Amino acid sequence: MKPIKRMEIVIGTVHADRVIEALRSVGVTGYTVINGVSGSGDRGTRRIDGVSGAFENCMVISACDESLVDPAVKKIKPILKRFGGLCLVSDAQWIMH
Amino acid sequence: MDVSLLLDNLRTPAILFFGLGVFAAVVRSDLALPQPIPKFLSVYLLMAIGLHGGVELMRSEIDTSVVLILLAAVGLSAATPLWSFFVLRLKLDVPNAAAMAATYGSISAVTFITATNFLDSLNSTDPAYTPGGYMVAAMALMESPAIVVGVLLARYFASPAKDSDSSSDPLPQEDRGKIDWGELLREAFFNGAVIVLVGSLLIGIAIDEKGWDSIQPFVYTPFKGVLCLFLLDMGLVAARRLSDLRRCGPSLIAFAILSAPLHASLGIAVAWLLGVGQGDALLLAVLAGSASYIAVPAAMRLAVPEANPGLYVTMSLAVTFPFNITVGIPLYLAIIEALWA
Repeated sequence: MKPIKRMEIVIGTVHADRVIEALRSVGVTGYTVINGVSGSGDRGTRRIDGVSGAFENCMVISACDESLVDPAVKKIKPILKRFGGLCLVSDAQWIMH
Repeated sequence: MDVSLLLDNLRTPAILFFGLGVFAAVVRSDLALPQPIPKFLSVYLLMAIGLHGGVELMRSEIDTSVVLILLAAVGLSAATPLWSFFVLRLKLDVPNAAAMAATYGSISAVTFITATNFLDSLNSTDPAYTPGGYMVAAMALMESPAIVVGVLLARYFASPAKDSDSSSDPLPQEDRGKIDWGELLREAFFNGAVIVLVGSLLIGIAIDEKGWDSIQPFVYTPFKGVLCLFLLDMGLVAARRLSDLRRCGPSLIAFAILSAPLHASLGIAVAWLLGVGQGDALLLAVLAGSASYIAVPAAMRLAVPEANPGLYVTMSLAVTFPFNITVGIPLYLAIIEALWA
């Protein structure tokens, strides 16, 4: 196993491409997107009503080397500031295969 | 107002199913339509109403009065956010006032569809109660102008100095003018609802009677049943947002209720000036008095992300929409009948 950093970013589905582009621009090329994420934060409750996909959030999960975290955070922070969302960075172990 | 009109409306199957949805949510039933189904139902309803409108257009002539109605519809959609914004600014910061103004300037396709269903249920033999197919075009045209006006208002009035006392952060100064207009206009004019509606309308115009006969069993016969199912889900969705009303406050709730008949009255006045039939007048009133909860939120989340959808969607979906489909539609028709008598 290899120690890495795990980034979990909750963002509006309509803004997911911005986050993915930001990750790519600093060299983070691997990610997983989980759609249909709902919850509540400082910008109100995000329900998945069915009639509109406007409020649907998604979660972008990425595992990357520690050296890429700071540049990625610098790129992602303005997106979160403008559009809302959440970014968590934690330690993880990558099972190499 | 003729109480029998109100009772007739409340007894239509679609409204009763809406009530059932509300009841299920209030008693915390586990009733739910699986996620993709409401979206499928909304596409079906828009496609059916678009096709039917197109066929009616194909059968009728487009004259000056039709063009005037369409222009008036666009005008109403663009002008409504202007005064709504300044009224809402008394209570809200710029982003929220702009988003809500856009919401109330744009339209609710489901309210329109419910109104057409109501007109159909009257079983009136008077042709004046049969709306023209061009009203579907009016609905499609009214979706987007309010979005553009709302975003322009948010951009123009965004000022940290003006909003220093607001509860949420104003639009940062460095972000002013940074909006991706290409993305916004694509969302405003080419969102899924507009594409299905306008596309179906054009297809309806293009096909002949034989083509309509071949597709009618799918898009016309099951229409009312599908509307019942969709409104059952809408009842669930609207009632589940009722808990958010606490955060909105009495002033906004009052705006959400009062703006519907006020804006509908403007629609009625325009219809009266243009001399259209009662059916067209009701649909124009409903379009003017309704508020969007599909197209506008999608665009606002892109263009005015600082606005809280918990305010503008809750007002539209949990207050204005139920008011319009239960009380509003028969109320507007009563006003129209009094004026047209």
